[in-house]
Amino acid sequence: MPWLSPYSQPLTADQATHLLRRATFGPTPALTKQFTGLKPDAALKILLANQPAPPPPVDVSTTKTFVDLPFNLDMQGQHQSFFKNWWLGLMINEEPNVTEKLTLFWQNHFVSTYAVVPDARYLYRQLALIRQHGMSNFRQFVIDMTKDPAMLRYLDGRLNVAVKPQENYGRELQELFTIGLGGNYTEDDVKAATRVLTGWIDNGFRDVANAAITVTFRANQHDTTDKKFSAAYGGYTVKGRTGATAGDEELADMVDMILRQAETARFLVRKLYRFYVANDITPDVETNMIEPLAKILRDNKYEIKPVLNALFSSDHFYDEAVRGAIIRSPLELMIGTFKYFGLRAPESGTTTFNALGDYIRARSREQQMDVYEQTTVFGYRPYYDTGLDRIWISTNTLALRSLYTDQLVRGQIRPNGVTFSFDSVELIKTLSAPTDPVKIIEDLTKDLFAVPLIKSQKDFLVDQVLIPGLPRYEWENEWTGFLKNPTATRKTSVKTKLDNLLIFMFRMAEFQMS
Amino acid sequence: MNRRDFIQYASAGVMTPVAIGGVSAQAYGQTEFLNALASVADVNDRVLVIIQLNGGNDGLNMVIPLDQMSTYTNIRSNIALPESKVGRLNNTLVTGIHPAMTGMRDLFNEGKVSIVHSVSYPSASQSHFRASDIWFTGASSNQVLTTGWMGRYLDKEYPGYPAAYPTTAMPDPLAIQINFITSTALLGPAQSMALAVQNPDTFATLVGDKVSIDPTATANTMAGRSISYIRQQQTISVQYAGIIKTAAGKGKNMAVYPTGNGLADQLKIVARLINGGLRTKVYYVSIGGFDTHATQTDASDNTIGAHANLLKMVSDGVKVFMDDLKLMGMEKRVAGMTFSEFGRRAGSNSARGTDHGQAAPLFVFAGEGIKTQFVGKNPNLSDLDNNTIRMQTDFRQVYSALLTDWLGETTATANNVLGKDYEPAPMFRQIVAATEDPFVTFRMYPNPADSEVMIESELFGPGGVQSLRVADMAGRFVPVPVEKLNNDAYRLSVRALPIGNYVVSVEANKRKLANRLMVVR
Repeated sequence: MPWLSPYSQPLTADQATHLLRRATFGPTPALTKQFTGLKPDAALKILLANQPAPPPPVDVSTTKTFVDLPFNLDMQGQHQSFFKNWWLGLMINEEPNVTEKLTLFWQNHFVSTYAVVPDARYLYRQLALIRQHGMSNFRQFVIDMTKDPAMLRYLDGRLNVAVKPQENYGRELQELFTIGLGGNYTEDDVKAATRVLTGWIDNGFRDVANAAITVTFRANQHDTTDKKFSAAYGGYTVKGRTGATAGDEELADMVDMILRQAETARFLVRKLYRFYVANDITPDVETNMIEPLAKILRDNKYEIKPVLNALFSSDHFYDEAVRGAIIRSPLELMIGTFKYFGLRAPESGTTTFNALGDYIRARSREQQMDVYEQTTVFGYRPYYDTGLDRIWISTNTLALRSLYTDQLVRGQIRPNGVTFSFDSVELIKTLSAPTDPVKIIEDLTKDLFAVPLIKSQKDFLVDQVLIPGLPRYEWENEWTGFLKNPTATRKTSVKTKLDNLLIFMFRMAEFQMS
Repeated sequence: MNRRDFIQYASAGVMTPVAIGGVSAQAYGQTEFLNALASVADVNDRVLVIIQLNGGNDGLNMVIPLDQMSTYTNIRSNIALPESKVGRLNNTLVTGIHPAMTGMRDLFNEGKVSIVHSVSYPSASQSHFRASDIWFTGASSNQVLTTGWMGRYLDKEYPGYPAAYPTTAMPDPLAIQINFITSTALLGPAQSMALAVQNPDTFATLVGDKVSIDPTATANTMAGRSISYIRQQQTISVQYAGIIKTAAGKGKNMAVYPTGNGLADQLKIVARLINGGLRTKVYYVSIGGFDTHATQTDASDNTIGAHANLLKMVSDGVKVFMDDLKLMGMEKRVAGMTFSEFGRRAGSNSARGTDHGQAAPLFVFAGEGIKTQFVGKNPNLSDLDNNTIRMQTDFRQVYSALLTDWLGETTATANNVLGKDYEPAPMFRQIVAATEDPFVTFRMYPNPADSEVMIESELFGPGGVQSLRVADMAGRFVPVPVEKLNNDAYRLSVRALPIGNYVVSVEANKRKLANRLMVVR
């Protein structure tokens, strides 16, 4: 099997939706049309184009941003909502580009949360860093993240001083952010890394007087002795330094030491693979995908874009075996479905925009994907290791997923009194043969489902769900009757049937797959 | 409960400490007496509640070694509890409890709590996820298991779940977790053995009344396998929705629960479902926030602050839950255990917090049946392993006791579930020979041991030892091969002993000497 060799055929419609479903929050009918027939390299030129930084979140009450102002005690809860909802709005209104989903990936890699760092300005600053580095260079990314004010608080780096080292960040840097568990470092390496990281502190947290948020290296709190690492790192010593630049120099030295380990590149590539391709990493995948992708990462000095490019244009990515192989996360499911019907978030900073964000956020929270609020530093559990994506699904969360899609179809998503829904009758009119119930189901499943339905399922949808107990030609009668004389009553009768069909389809197990 | 279970149940000394001629009834196995008893028992209605403290609980500020207060205060001066404030427990002068845990203290003093000291496993992991997975699955530190210990137990006890259920004998969910998702601990060979229920009143409405799929076979592909799994979850939720609704409607809490206590909220639902008549065997609840790297105590007062609040929630939650069950007349059916993925460092850090450690104490509580209130002793703070507390009891010994002594499983099944032979921790057993001579008078190494143990002393005298015996924690002598090397040195083989704690006693030079031995593997 060719695995990582570039796939160079023009994309079929199924391949185009697959690419959009994985690289972004999902396709729309227009995007499917745009991407069908493109070769992967042309498609990826669009998807991997650098994006400008978006305008910052806006305070609904002032219609201005709050991220450049001192901390506001009275508005702190509101600012939290504005910030998180602003991020959700960016996901919903994404361009055909990897940026938004990749930002979600990296925020879940370098976790911080509002619960631990309750200052939305800090998190905005951190998310801007994540957005800036997501497609660029991992070395710089990890260095900047180590010194990020929100991270210095979230993992207690600010408390780590020479006289009493605090290991929290020194451990997670290795276990979660770079090289991973599995004998790749020792407890003594945690201690050594901790000593390298002594002396950093953030300034400006919840400061109601000054707007500035800065980071300082305190040379007098830094452990200036040599830090010898274990055999896992080849017994490397990060030389102890003194003075104002000691912190930066030692950090760079240590990060380079970690990135020199082949396992670090593998660890990162595996995580990307699980997020974008399939939850399972077989020995074949390890040999034929992870290993060469890790090499690409190392050969390109930890530039991320070449890896994404190779991944999304590989033969393996378009293999039928990985189609529909991932259980969609709550945000993928909700935003993907929302987007598909052409729905968009209104202008940022409006009351309705914020109310829509509140709604999506409440739904994602109960489905166990609370935005910027991972319960542990490990991130959302389904992404932590292979074979965990089933954690998204329980008797309870499954019902909650359906609750969302039910509400979307029934027009019950009404933040600030504005309905976000779609007209199923208008949708059917755009299909290839609205009079033929079998064709309706085929068209809908082709676009909306990552995996095809089999004949008995389609029959079931026609005969048991769309027009239960009626012969199939009755659909054509009803439909053409409505088109000839589109009264409100006739419309209601066809719309009810179509809504029931969609509600049912969205509750199917197949719809949970990406 | 079937006959096989009942015999195990009775002979393990849970119902009555049957002792015949000083030897526990287990040695006699099936007697006519036990057979007769077994024929009248038809249902084991015992329930186990598992309480997870997520994040790594600082056990040393939960159960306090009053016999080592100067060392304790010295190594964690910025978070140490003052001796005068530590909660006192009956029947001990050396061990106290966090002052915020008044409910747990009262339950302990009523004889309903056992404190199991220094629970961990060899080569403990200090990663949250790995350590949690080890506790969930019952794996050793060098082993990866994909199913949970409770999941394996339920799978053995209720074979064919979920396809063959509900049945007349087990009409209810096997296990319920009060959450949106279920824990790895409850993961069976193919799927979770538990139902995730966040709100029993709305569960039925939420899942709907009909299965929304047709039972089409799926392909054996990555997508197909996940689809089958999701369908199964749909089927299970619909099947049990009505049952939960009925139980929630019938069940009533009789105690007043505190507000603002997330754990108490979950336990309140559990009590209500038990009261509503569910025969569910296992309930799982959890509380997070124990990863206290910084500011775990208040700057002005170490008895209050973040960690104290968490412990108070645990203590108040368990107390009101047990009170509620008592008012319902159901407390004798219910036992529970707390656990956390690891303890924290013995010494604190400069941020009034504690970093990841190893062993820590846990609580086992039960409406009846607690016989040993301290398993093990206070950790020795002068003998730390790299600033972490050394293990005394393997967590799987606690599991083994819950499976056999509480839930009535056979030792064979428990060993099968746990993958190895673990001597049950003796919470539900009378310890006969567990008290050791405080003046250790011979050297014994290695300890813990897995294969051979050396025993040496110059005090054995010219005749060497007269007898050398090993007893388990229930006081039964267990045979071990002994090799005399010379008058001062003996070699024991412990290869055949199950993992657990033992007392090695030696008679020599007209003196009786004893020392505690731990067998690990």
